[in-house]
Amino acid sequence: MNIVETQNLTKTYRRFVKPEGLSGSIRNLWKREYEEKSAVRNFDFALKEGEFIGLIGPNGAGKTTLTKMLTGIIAPTSGKISVMGFYPNDLKNEFKRQYAVVMGQKSQLFFELTTNDTMRLFKEIYELDEKEFRETKEYFTELFDVRELMDVQVRTLSLGERMKMELIVALLHNPRILFLDEPSIGLDAIASNQIRKFLKQVNQERGTTIILTSHYMEDISTLCERSVVIHHGCKVYDGRTEELFARYQKNKKITACFSREISPGESLPMAEIVEKTPHKLVFIVPKEAACAALAAIMPWNPTDIAVEEDEIGTVVERIYQEGSRYED
Amino acid sequence: MRTRLLPEYRKYREAVYMNLKAQLVWRSDVIFNMLFTISKILFAYLLWRIIFQQKDMVAGFTFHGMLSYYIISSFLSQLEMSDGISGEIFWRIRNGTFTNYMVLPINTEGYFIAMEAGVVLFYLAFDFLAAVIWIFLFRIRFVFTQEPLMIFCAALMVLLGLLFMVQLNYYLGILTLKYQEINTFLMIKKNLILLATGTIVPLALFPEKIVKLMSRLPFYYVTYLPSMLLTGRCGEEAVPGILTLIFWCVFLQFVIAVTWKSYRKKYDGVGI
Repeated sequence: MNIVETQNLTKTYRRFVKPEGLSGSIRNLWKREYEEKSAVRNFDFALKEGEFIGLIGPNGAGKTTLTKMLTGIIAPTSGKISVMGFYPNDLKNEFKRQYAVVMGQKSQLFFELTTNDTMRLFKEIYELDEKEFRETKEYFTELFDVRELMDVQVRTLSLGERMKMELIVALLHNPRILFLDEPSIGLDAIASNQIRKFLKQVNQERGTTIILTSHYMEDISTLCERSVVIHHGCKVYDGRTEELFARYQKNKKITACFSREISPGESLPMAEIVEKTPHKLVFIVPKEAACAALAAIMPWNPTDIAVEEDEIGTVVERIYQEGSRYED
Repeated sequence: MRTRLLPEYRKYREAVYMNLKAQLVWRSDVIFNMLFTISKILFAYLLWRIIFQQKDMVAGFTFHGMLSYYIISSFLSQLEMSDGISGEIFWRIRNGTFTNYMVLPINTEGYFIAMEAGVVLFYLAFDFLAAVIWIFLFRIRFVFTQEPLMIFCAALMVLLGLLFMVQLNYYLGILTLKYQEINTFLMIKKNLILLATGTIVPLALFPEKIVKLMSRLPFYYVTYLPSMLLTGRCGEEAVPGILTLIFWCVFLQFVIAVTWKSYRKKYDGVGI
């Protein structure tokens, strides 16, 4: 049974175009021009309960617009959409009680008050009974190790601590779906790791379906079994994250150190040499030629060898470029 | 029915508490607010004392009657602070954080009314305290109606008036969904209030028909008439005033419902 389903989902925005300069501004007083921009186009998508899915795409690809349509914040221009059996933009309370949304830059916390105060408000808003509220609060406070921060004014918390609190508040009513839009934006490596660990646990232990939008490929690759790549509002990939990375991970970077001076000459025909010193050689080869390249350097008796995947940024760039070609 | 209504009521009560708690965070704000109320009463006391040194009655008021009217009306005016609602909604729609309210299982208007109630309760408590202290300190013989019916009518009028002002500001705020810029509407509202309450031009200078028309508008009944009722005046206007306010509250609620249903689809959540 699908928890989310969309068919030919489209969202078109109408935006005002102003010609440059003062004369353009004056002309606009009586004659105004508009252009239509499709943020999401004919988007077909289905999601099963309990899945952890990643939405990937460059800025302006349509990820946030899709999330807004799924949560009912905005209405689609055309197409079909069903989330937990509801048409989201009806904004029915029974629907809103079953999901949570965390947007990295739109806080639900009251900055002047404490997290405990906000949680008390959310307990009433989601009509939780006292026992359920206390148990869930206890579970998440323990999981995130934030007990000593619960009675501190939110505005004094660090960004990482605040994001943990946002997640706890969002999950308090045990939603069936959690929408996350850039939850790790601006966080340091330690905080990002903690949040990833936490999300994984919530997905596995509570069975919460999670839709994660992120620019950080590490979030996607470590958390999401399935990924959807969006470009210019269209879906360009929908499948296993592993396969996505395997498809776009085209090269291997090999670093080899030697006890004596070496001169590779013509021995590595497919390689692009990145760094070469008398005792060290760094080169990139297509992944299918990696074994042959390793065999070629073995006669020089290397003292150390490291084989690395393509950098994640390079992979992302390729995914988006492929998306552009698909568009064309 | 009872089990459904109770949690529904509790969520708005908690929103009232949240805003009350948020007001109480800043201790210096609490102190300065009290000092502000006290200094207003002090200046009014000094001003009217000078005026009443030459005559015993001004416009039918004795010195103590005038001070009583001043204390009540400034107390009620201070409670009416719904202007912030339109500003808050405007700002939140423009920067996209209105989304925060849309995703919660609450009635957005009810939530804003609850937030306003939290702020009003805060000012009610401290302004009342300050007013009582000064009534005793200056030995003001407080002129207050003895008729329970008038007190009830005034209290009801204050509640309806505050509700109407919240509704009006909420309505003006949600116009941002369509117009993006609502300062013109806010300016019209402000001038209409000043005109209808005789602040710009005394109502006596208008033709009778215009005055009659003004009396059909709700603004006259928000703070002015309740203050008069509480000081024992204009009793004959109590019932028509309440009926006028009820009509405007119901009418505005209908307008809000229609506008919200149509304009919320225009929200794009764009901003931050």
